Amino acid sequence: MKRIAGWLVAVVVALGFLLPLLWMLHASFRPESAIFTGGLKSLFDFRGLHLEHYVAAWRRAAMGIGLLNSLLQVAGILGLGLLFNSMAAFALARFDFPGRAGLFALVIVLIILPVEVLVVPLLLTVRDLGLVGGHGRTLAALVLPFAVKAFNIYFLRQHFLALPRDLEEAAIMDGAGPFRIYWSVGLPAIRPALATVLVLDMLTHWSDFIWPLVICTREETRTVQIALSNLFTQPPIQWGDILACAVMTTLPVLVVFRLAQRHIVASQLTAGIK
Amino acid sequence: MKQRLTIPRIVPWLFLAPALLLLGTFALFPLLRGAWWSLTNADLLRTDAAVWTGAANYSELLSDPRFRRAFFNTACFALMVVPVQATLAFFLALWVNRPERYWRWLRTAFFLPIIVSMPVLAVLWTMLYQPLRGGQTGLINALIGSIGLPAQEWLQQPHLALPAIAFMSVWQGVGFQMMIFLAGLQSLSRAQLEAARIDGAGAFQRLRHVILPAMRPSIIFVMTATLILSFRLFAQPYLMTRGGPEDATLSIIQFIYETTFLGRELGRASAGAMLFLLLVAGLALLQRAFAREVRS
Repeated sequence: MKRIAGWLVAVVVALGFLLPLLWMLHASFRPESAIFTGGLKSLFDFRGLHLEHYVAAWRRAAMGIGLLNSLLQVAGILGLGLLFNSMAAFALARFDFPGRAGLFALVIVLIILPVEVLVVPLLLTVRDLGLVGGHGRTLAALVLPFAVKAFNIYFLRQHFLALPRDLEEAAIMDGAGPFRIYWSVGLPAIRPALATVLVLDMLTHWSDFIWPLVICTREETRTVQIALSNLFTQPPIQWGDILACAVMTTLPVLVVFRLAQRHIVASQLTAGIK
Repeated sequence: MKQRLTIPRIVPWLFLAPALLLLGTFALFPLLRGAWWSLTNADLLRTDAAVWTGAANYSELLSDPRFRRAFFNTACFALMVVPVQATLAFFLALWVNRPERYWRWLRTAFFLPIIVSMPVLAVLWTMLYQPLRGGQTGLINALIGSIGLPAQEWLQQPHLALPAIAFMSVWQGVGFQMMIFLAGLQSLSRAQLEAARIDGAGAFQRLRHVILPAMRPSIIFVMTATLILSFRLFAQPYLMTRGGPEDATLSIIQFIYETTFLGRELGRASAGAMLFLLLVAGLALLQRAFAREVRS
């Protein structure tokens, strides 16, 4: 009896917490004139639901190209970041060289540098490098500044440091060079940490807003978030289309997160505490 | 016998080269440029014509009522979000801390808004906060109407707009803080809790004398991390209220953004960005000091 009551409370609280998202999904199928009517009861009103907002939003917000741009942006940041951050982390963890302490201190300092401080000088720097305008250039401007992340270097270094040396010693005996050891011994051994970094970075960069806002100046270079914000700010305001666009912006990241969920180990999130 | 890898001196630098190149080009160099512009009268479209003005931008900003307003708003937002979110997240973590696999869905439910991006949620909550117009209204007004309270113009009233945005932000971020507390709770030894229970400690006493002291590092981390995140406020007010009404939700970042792109005053905007960096760096140092105190 007590168990059932506990379940009921949990279900009701969770549904209440998720009410905004449930409303978003449901309202995106409702007729435009009905979206702001009916209050809570409207959630159970399934009359006249249709897909027209999705069709209209797909066309008006150029969602196809927007989703592709966001996908390339996130894939680029994750791919390059995985390689470059882990290489730097491996060097800081495993090699002895003059200047190592100073470099590590620089990494620690850069962790706190928020992107908001950089937006304006970064925009002018990217412009000086000719990375504005067309598709490829904008993609480079979206990816390159954020592929290397000080926190990820720090985080992966801690995980490399925690590896037992025996693993490497066996590889050295077999005659492996430094890059082979990094690639076939180091990287596989810190897979859980790499997965954590990938999932968190995916969530962060799929939501990127202020940087794409200044860099994606043409319709064909927009990421989904900018497509959504344009639909939301430029008249005529069609609430149904905006909701459909919001749902389509959310679905891909939701699916990927569902697939990657088991790789998020709660204890990894707290690495920053120590 | 230990095997040591002897490597050419160039190898570490080859490993570091891509990261250093990108950090140098896209973090350090822009940072230095921003610092330089903050001491000049640089114009966004003619940066090479910038003339050294010393600390003029800084002293002007510090006495600029609009910049002060932006700072005040952002600080108010942080003061509303941090304690509420941390407390809520703590009790949620206690509640969802169940070993059985079939309770996992509850954690996922609270984590879900983290996955949905902030622009989507800002747009969504603008609709939820929709004022009463011609018999139609947003879900929030409908809900409070059903318990007999009058409809409000949440985002159109200067005194309601910032709290409304803070409420939405707490809802969005509470799941992440909950996960961090959950990790802390799970590292708490079961034996300790059992011993307290056997000694006859009630739920409140266990919380006060066993759980809270053990959770201090997590609590400090969550509070300071949330504080820094709240000061970076931008997307919510930018999309939901454009900083209005009457600058009631103008954030520091939006002030910098507008000064750059509407006013074209690159020097002034850069000074604002440097002051913001100073603020965040100060908070980060505070965090480290707290963390060190906990460890010792």
